[in-house]
Amino acid sequence: MSETPRKLGQVQQWMQAVIMHPDGVVGGIESTAAQTHIDVSVNDIEQVIKRSQAQNSIERLQVYGNAYFARLVEVLRDEFPALQHAIGEEAFDGFAFGYLQAYPSHSYTLADLSRNFSQYLRETRPPADAEEEGPDWIEFLIDLAALERTYSEVFSGPGPEAGDHLKPGELQEIPPERWADATLIPMPCLRLMKFGFPVHEYATAVRQGGDPHPPDPQETNLVIGRRDFVVRRKAVGRVEFEMLSAIVDGLALGDAIQRVLEQTDVEFEALAAEIGEWFKTWAAAQFFRAVEVGGADVS
Amino acid sequence: MLEPRLGHPNIGLGLGLRTVHYQHILQHEPKVDWFEIISENYMDTEGRPRYVLEQIAERYPIVMHGVSMSIGSTDPLDFDYLQKLKRLAATVGALWISDHICWTGVASLNAHDLLPLPYNEATLKHTIDRVRIVQDVLERTLVLENPSSYVTFADSTMPESEFVNRLAAETDCGLLLDVNNVYVSSVNHDFDPVEYLESVPHKNVVQFHLAGHTNLGTHCIDTHDGHVIDPVWELYRLAHRLTGGVSTLLEWDAKIPEFPVVHAEVLKAKPFIGAETESAADVAETVTDSEQKPDEAATTTVPHPAAYVVAEAE
Repeated sequence: MSETPRKLGQVQQWMQAVIMHPDGVVGGIESTAAQTHIDVSVNDIEQVIKRSQAQNSIERLQVYGNAYFARLVEVLRDEFPALQHAIGEEAFDGFAFGYLQAYPSHSYTLADLSRNFSQYLRETRPPADAEEEGPDWIEFLIDLAALERTYSEVFSGPGPEAGDHLKPGELQEIPPERWADATLIPMPCLRLMKFGFPVHEYATAVRQGGDPHPPDPQETNLVIGRRDFVVRRKAVGRVEFEMLSAIVDGLALGDAIQRVLEQTDVEFEALAAEIGEWFKTWAAAQFFRAVEVGGADVS
Repeated sequence: MLEPRLGHPNIGLGLGLRTVHYQHILQHEPKVDWFEIISENYMDTEGRPRYVLEQIAERYPIVMHGVSMSIGSTDPLDFDYLQKLKRLAATVGALWISDHICWTGVASLNAHDLLPLPYNEATLKHTIDRVRIVQDVLERTLVLENPSSYVTFADSTMPESEFVNRLAAETDCGLLLDVNNVYVSSVNHDFDPVEYLESVPHKNVVQFHLAGHTNLGTHCIDTHDGHVIDPVWELYRLAHRLTGGVSTLLEWDAKIPEFPVVHAEVLKAKPFIGAETESAADVAETVTDSEQKPDEAATTTVPHPAAYVVAEAE
């Protein structure tokens, strides 16, 4: 042992810098981040880490160094099966490796590990070539990452399974003259996402064991929720999506309809003809928790 | 004078609850004495894992086993984490809460690994102080597990067994004696596992862990991906004799086989503790896959201290 044991914090900062180093533990030992805490060379490593009868100190440290990235890349593979299928295992691992360096975990739970993955992919994407024709496949990959991360959040978050969701028929109980003032309260798990590709179909095909080809670009308005503890997704048309967006933004139904009429080219009569069916579908899908009129829960 | 197991009951032979076995457990209600959960997989979720846990907790005793307390870290304790832990324990009626003698990160980072401590006086004092705080917050005895480890520090001034002994003596914490970890670390650090088992404070031992590991020739890795090997079963026999018998839990966290295979593995403990052999019902459930072997070629050599719960989506 050393004559005076080093401080615990010093040893921990050093070991963390060594095992998290992307070039491996030798690179880690030589890094400034590690040497700031313990100035030891690879040749003198036994001053910090003892050897065993069968392994030298570097080999022993490598158990932790190898496991750090391997374990966390494995977690990301599990969470992003569709993205991995789209780019292949090797490329995925490369992105995951880069991500873990840019956004190392600050959380006690692995559920937070990928929180910034799609953002990282966007930050590091090469600039789109305006002269290049054809789909922007990088955008497809970023969309996939965002979708799969959303699936994780919706799966783990609060859902409607306890029964506190708006039931079909409850909307009919609102007097017609008060409809315009009614506000639908979304379930916390409801997500509205716009994509440039039908990423949901690709992700589902992969999760079902298929081998899908990347889809052609297509404006995709996705509503994501949860029912019976399974994440559900539904592609909807633009007008329905804008109506849902207005409701999620907290607008009363009258104001939401007005916004949709201003934002889209739909006619009032056409919207009125569809909206009743939408409400039934949304209630069956358990998108909403309650309906309030004038601040009072009437569901 | 301490009561055996610090007053905790010996609840028999249990299994680590894993998502791939949810359906089997709910459908068949297998004759398992108790289940241990990975605390972090249930603390924040409001999805299926939590729903299933609450159903299982109505039918089986539950013990909570964490991987993120980081009791030995020099970072501040995470009191939000501790409060979540406490709330979950109250909700599922957890008999006890355990974690590891380790640290998982520093400077606000988390390596999601069970990293070893240098065993010396300063580390011991630091850990004692934190165990006392945690026990005050949780308002219960904390149970701590000896980790598998792969390095030893020049800054250590005492063997792990002495560190464990003195930590337990100062804090009255419980010990989760992982017999497989004792074996793994004894290979990796060239110590005698029997001496280790003989030296730990037996009345503080609340629980045993058993698991499979991977032997790479020069060292062992705690992979939790296969059967318990015979030398570990022999150490378990000794540990049982020394402690008078405590609750025993089998962990299987990678390449997890069908539930009956895992169940059969923990039932192998019975002859080592002088218990009755399996009932006819146990045998009927376990016979199907009991010869299944892990795929050696596919063995991963990454320790698996934490599991990630994959989302179910259409």
